[in-house]
Amino acid sequence: MKFHFLKRLLLVAFVLSILLAGVMFLGISIGSTGSNFSDVWRTLLMNKSADSVLEAIIWRIRLPRVILAALVGATLSLGGLVFQALLRNPLAEPYILGISGGSAIGAILGIIIGLSYFPGVSIMAFTGSIGTLVMLLIMSPGQAVLKKDSLLLSGVMVNAFCSAVIMFLISMTRDARLHNIMFWLMGDLSTADIEQVCFLAAALLPCFILIFWLSNIMNLLLMGRDMAQTMGVNVKIVTLTLLITTSFMVSTTVSYCGLIGFVGLVIPHLFRLILGSDHRILVPACVLGGGAYMVVCDLLAKILPSQGEIPAGVITALIGAPLFIFLLKRSRQ
Amino acid sequence: MNPAISVNNLNYSYGNTSILKNLSFHIQRGDFFIIIGPNGSGKTTLLRLFAGIISASDGQIELFGNPIKNYTRKALARKIAYVPQTVPIDFPFTVSEVVLMGRSPHLGMLGLEKEKDLVVAKQAMEFTGLEHLAHRKTHQLSGGECQRVFIARAICQETDIILLDEPTASLDLAHQTRIMDLMEKLQKERDITVVMVSHDVNLAAMYGKTLLLLKEGQIVSRGKPDEVLTFQTLESAYGCTLLVDESPLGRFPRVTPVPGRLMKIKD
Amino acid sequence: MVNSEHMKFRSLINIFMIFIWLCFGELPATAGIVTDKLGRKVLIPENPQRVISLAPNITEIIFALNSENRLKGVTLHCDFPIEAKLLPKVGSYVGLDLEKIVSLKPDLCIAIKDGNPKNVIDRLESFGIPVYAVDPRNLESVMETILAIGNILGAGERADILVQKMRSRIMHVRALVERTSHRPRVFFQIGAAPIVSVGTRTYIHELIMLSGGINVTAGDTPYPRFSREQLIALSPEVVIITSMERSDVFEQVLAEWNKWPQIPAVHNKRIYNANSDLFDRPSPRLIDGLEMLVKLIHPGLSGDKK
Repeated sequence: MKFHFLKRLLLVAFVLSILLAGVMFLGISIGSTGSNFSDVWRTLLMNKSADSVLEAIIWRIRLPRVILAALVGATLSLGGLVFQALLRNPLAEPYILGISGGSAIGAILGIIIGLSYFPGVSIMAFTGSIGTLVMLLIMSPGQAVLKKDSLLLSGVMVNAFCSAVIMFLISMTRDARLHNIMFWLMGDLSTADIEQVCFLAAALLPCFILIFWLSNIMNLLLMGRDMAQTMGVNVKIVTLTLLITTSFMVSTTVSYCGLIGFVGLVIPHLFRLILGSDHRILVPACVLGGGAYMVVCDLLAKILPSQGEIPAGVITALIGAPLFIFLLKRSRQ
Repeated sequence: MNPAISVNNLNYSYGNTSILKNLSFHIQRGDFFIIIGPNGSGKTTLLRLFAGIISASDGQIELFGNPIKNYTRKALARKIAYVPQTVPIDFPFTVSEVVLMGRSPHLGMLGLEKEKDLVVAKQAMEFTGLEHLAHRKTHQLSGGECQRVFIARAICQETDIILLDEPTASLDLAHQTRIMDLMEKLQKERDITVVMVSHDVNLAAMYGKTLLLLKEGQIVSRGKPDEVLTFQTLESAYGCTLLVDESPLGRFPRVTPVPGRLMKIKD
Repeated sequence: MVNSEHMKFRSLINIFMIFIWLCFGELPATAGIVTDKLGRKVLIPENPQRVISLAPNITEIIFALNSENRLKGVTLHCDFPIEAKLLPKVGSYVGLDLEKIVSLKPDLCIAIKDGNPKNVIDRLESFGIPVYAVDPRNLESVMETILAIGNILGAGERADILVQKMRSRIMHVRALVERTSHRPRVFFQIGAAPIVSVGTRTYIHELIMLSGGINVTAGDTPYPRFSREQLIALSPEVVIITSMERSDVFEQVLAEWNKWPQIPAVHNKRIYNANSDLFDRPSPRLIDGLEMLVKLIHPGLSGDKK
């Protein structure tokens, strides 16, 4: 039974990778102009180029979008997992420390001024969310950063305040900008461009790796601050590192595609129910499984409505909320 | 031979309040050392200083002759294991997962366990009578079983010293004795230094080899149970009338609190 | 087709083009690099055959120029004329479907500055699809837009004629209005709850002024809001409500107004319903809107028409 844990980890990673690859294939084969499974197969396997318009659609429109969906799903799921561990609270999710509020304010201001989505609005959104994080860290003096309850409370207050500001800004806007704002708030994956997606991946993948590296420490943190410290963990540094890395990761994602909810809350619970609480397995599960979930939701957002698209955030909520209730019930048994 | 823990002029203050004042004593290797005293005497603070969770405001603590400051966190974790009074159970880990976590100080960042680690964990669970509960989730266990899980984890940590903060506080009589027997077994069979904070003076008398009686951050008495548990020292420490006699079970003191209505009759 | 026949054919075409130009002062079609209304340099084909309109007003203009045979795709809300609804849809003008657009293989897209998301325009261009952007902010620039679109679609003369007609209709309205010095106070309501009206920088304001009215809500805020109190203070003589939704909404809004008979417009029963498309789409129909406004604001005047 040598390295039994490693075997389990590899099995989970393998199964979920296949799942992710599978749904990504579906994602690039289906779009608003129909489904092209055989064409995608042919291009993938034989490198034979189909009609160039179809090629453009598959590789330059659908593929970046699918990759973006996977990255977003992975980031939000992982963000939820880390915050649930840091705050030792099963209701924690990636936006809980004010990231959603801060980034929304930044984005809305950017849209109102008339900046273009990339880089203008994205930078405003990112600044907004990092701003709220800094504000939070300043508001919580020294040791309070480690006291999960005060951090949680501060985060909730910040989000509430931001909501009020957002409502105000929305009420002051009209015309097409209002539409743009609502779309941003509901989450929008359709703005994917291969260069921007690569840039996003370059920013996010190191975060995934760092968090995986700290996954065993997250297990220890769940035993409480004191016990973790006596098992060799530098609680303060690890907590700050996880906090900053996760906030950065989530802020980057949100600044690019708006607020997509329920992924970060539901996916960690789902995998915890199936795979147990060991974060060394949960981290890769959330990355791969969360990515696959988001790709599926985005696919549904594209194909369900007969005309146009539903924002991805609506689908994740429609699926996520009942799923979460179901998981809650199961975990009680 | 250096004592397991030696304390020199130890002072600890929290804000403006001084909690421990100029403590100096030592704990021998392989001892069963029990710290007793009324609430607020600084017992838990002392334990947390030993565990390296907090640092002294002034004075020195040495482990096996080395100042505690010289140990890295992980190195310290290989020397001292700490069992706090309560542990939050927010997420469902299984018993074997919790016990295995005790191996972390001996492993790398990801804590990849090898065969040897699994064996140590298994032994720790057998020692504490938990093998049949290995796959149960911790929140499904009773208080006593939970306490044993965390002790098993501490055993799994394979340290020279184990610190326990009021391990029997919320347990029923059967479990109290069981835990104390376990600690005694550890101390005798594996030569581990057990340092415990206890509320229960009689359990301390029954099991402890050396007692330390604290009051308001200062030592009232240190020594063998029959030296420490005298009528005078106990009355000055606890501020109430107590009856001290020899236990019918053996050569150790028995302390009985005297109810108010019997005060007039007492000698 | 590189041979002498082709060369002869082309020189004939060139002579013909010059003849047309001499007659009508317009080249049939502009090609090569042009500067669009936002100052962007766009490489457009000589004879665009597959044009996609990215906004409802652009669709209307293309149909008005009889160039709908070139039109291969429109947005969801392109509903005028009716034939526009039959064309393939490429999403809404704020949420364009990139995939659909690319799949229709356009050789030119025409976009509008206010509304079309810039990043989608950029991506279209990265696919090699030229995008010509317009920015009609007032009546004058609407007419410039019509001329520009006419130029690039080879309907230059038709655009000229259309614009001439529009100008003469405007002049006629001006002449009518000059007959009286009465300038009624007009409140133009575009939102039911909250009550929203229009400021100076809107087409509607321009139309009100041209039709001999005073926009009581003129000001810097393009879409200001008002409470009932402020309406009573503004005391409009004419109220025009554009309904973007169902007709029963107008009945409700009318009922609301009728609660305040101290307002002149209510007292004199001068509250009217109007089709919003005639007032907020920068297309030829703005003149229809203008003419309707004159009839509502100065009912006596438009009796005699030339």
